Amino acid sequence: MTVLDALIEVREKRDSSLGYRHSCGMGICGSCGMTIEGVPRLACQTQVSILKTDVIRVEPLHSMGVMRDLVVDIAPFMAMHKSVKPYIIRRDVDERDHADREYRVLSEEVRRFLQFDYCIMCGLCYSACPTVALDPAYIGPQAIAQSYRYMADPRDEGWDQRIDLLDTSHGVWRCHVAGACSFVCPKDVDPAKAIQMARKEVLKKRLLRRKAKVGAQPVPLLSSGVVKQGAKPPPFDFGEGSVSGK
Amino acid sequence: MKESWSMILTYACAMILVFVLTFHFLLQGPLAGKPFEGTGGVLAFSYAAGNLVNFEVVFGLLLYAAILHGLNGVRVIALEWFHPQKKAWLLNLIIVVLMAFFLALGSYTLLAVG
Amino acid sequence: MKKEPRYKSGLISSLNPFGYNVERWSYALHRVTGVVLIGYLMAHIFETFELSMGNTAWTSTMNALHSLGPLELVGLWIVAGSALYHGANGIRLILNEMFGKLMGRPILPVYPYSPTSLGRNQRIAVWTITGVVLVLWVWAGLYLLTGLGVV
Repeated sequence: MTVLDALIEVREKRDSSLGYRHSCGMGICGSCGMTIEGVPRLACQTQVSILKTDVIRVEPLHSMGVMRDLVVDIAPFMAMHKSVKPYIIRRDVDERDHADREYRVLSEEVRRFLQFDYCIMCGLCYSACPTVALDPAYIGPQAIAQSYRYMADPRDEGWDQRIDLLDTSHGVWRCHVAGACSFVCPKDVDPAKAIQMARKEVLKKRLLRRKAKVGAQPVPLLSSGVVKQGAKPPPFDFGEGSVSGK
Repeated sequence: MKESWSMILTYACAMILVFVLTFHFLLQGPLAGKPFEGTGGVLAFSYAAGNLVNFEVVFGLLLYAAILHGLNGVRVIALEWFHPQKKAWLLNLIIVVLMAFFLALGSYTLLAVG
Repeated sequence: MKKEPRYKSGLISSLNPFGYNVERWSYALHRVTGVVLIGYLMAHIFETFELSMGNTAWTSTMNALHSLGPLELVGLWIVAGSALYHGANGIRLILNEMFGKLMGRPILPVYPYSPTSLGRNQRIAVWTITGVVLVLWVWAGLYLLTGLGVV
């Protein structure tokens, strides 16, 4: 039995006014984030038996405004996510808006950012972060991790813009590697790692004066207008030793 | 000035501090023998002043690195606690003034004793 | 929409590491020791300023501090421990933040999840630091509190 099952049971049989969010019930949507026994978790992914207590303490997510019972205001969290421009930025806007071919991305290039792409925006990392608890203007681990996800994407050409967005007084420098974000993340996105990698990118630009690379180019066409033979990328190969836990 | 520059300064001062502070601890301790002996348990003037004279550059480095690192840390804590949107310049100004004051006080001590 | 006050945010929540990973405990301790050290540093600069006022001023300041008795030595012991921990943990943080070390590489997550940033290398670093700091702190305590200059 999960905590979500218990909450549904409470709502159905004991108190029908209890308010909480849930949707998929299988750790994909990120709706049922709440503080369970002092730690942010997904209610649908938390078995009652592992909590080892007869009375389970369930609270709203910390560092967020409470709308009702266990329902929190996620608008500030979403606003932080939006502020880091979480989409592919291309210099050639016409090519982007009228794309008729895919961009070539190698499997080893995908490996560099795929982990951070698994984010379900549940808000647990944001709630767990001690800097967010103190500073509501801090953009938060999720936003920085997503900013890095796009920085590491070879199709993206917004490296300079992203660096400037992160290099602010409430940006990437307010992370102090408490690691609570990675500790609570239900999808192993490991935001702490992404943040330090984002920091390295900022230092590369400021200290080493590195310039942005040109983004991945569209797959070339033959003169007949057909996509070049052999241009289809090979199946993704994540390589040996790339699986977590090894 | 970008936030990264103040953090790079903090990191640089931290790395300097690790070495210089270790030296300072050892100087007050094992390297000095027993500096509290014969003085009723207080650090003798001649010993303390002698250190500042003999190792003026080291203590100068220690002073600057410690103040820049420490007060930048205070700035970070204040920035997180007060999270000023429009008056961030005021916080930075207060920290810079504090830095200048303690650096001046410490520098005066080093120069006067030296 | 009306902005609701944030639930359980603030300084106490920020420094409350219960239920979390050991690195969060390190963060809280790093912050507390940092505040202790900056407070001591500012007082120490005023104290050493007395050296420039001459032998009499210096000796009277030292005597005033010494009159606190064991409180002076305990206070110095706490400062020594703070400096040891803050410095050692600071080295780990510089490795993490500036050089991206001990964090691991991007991987393909497979359940059961184990974030590499909180993995073996990071834990070894944290516990090694804790052990070394404890040993040195005990030694510093013996030196200060016994006054015997135990090497």
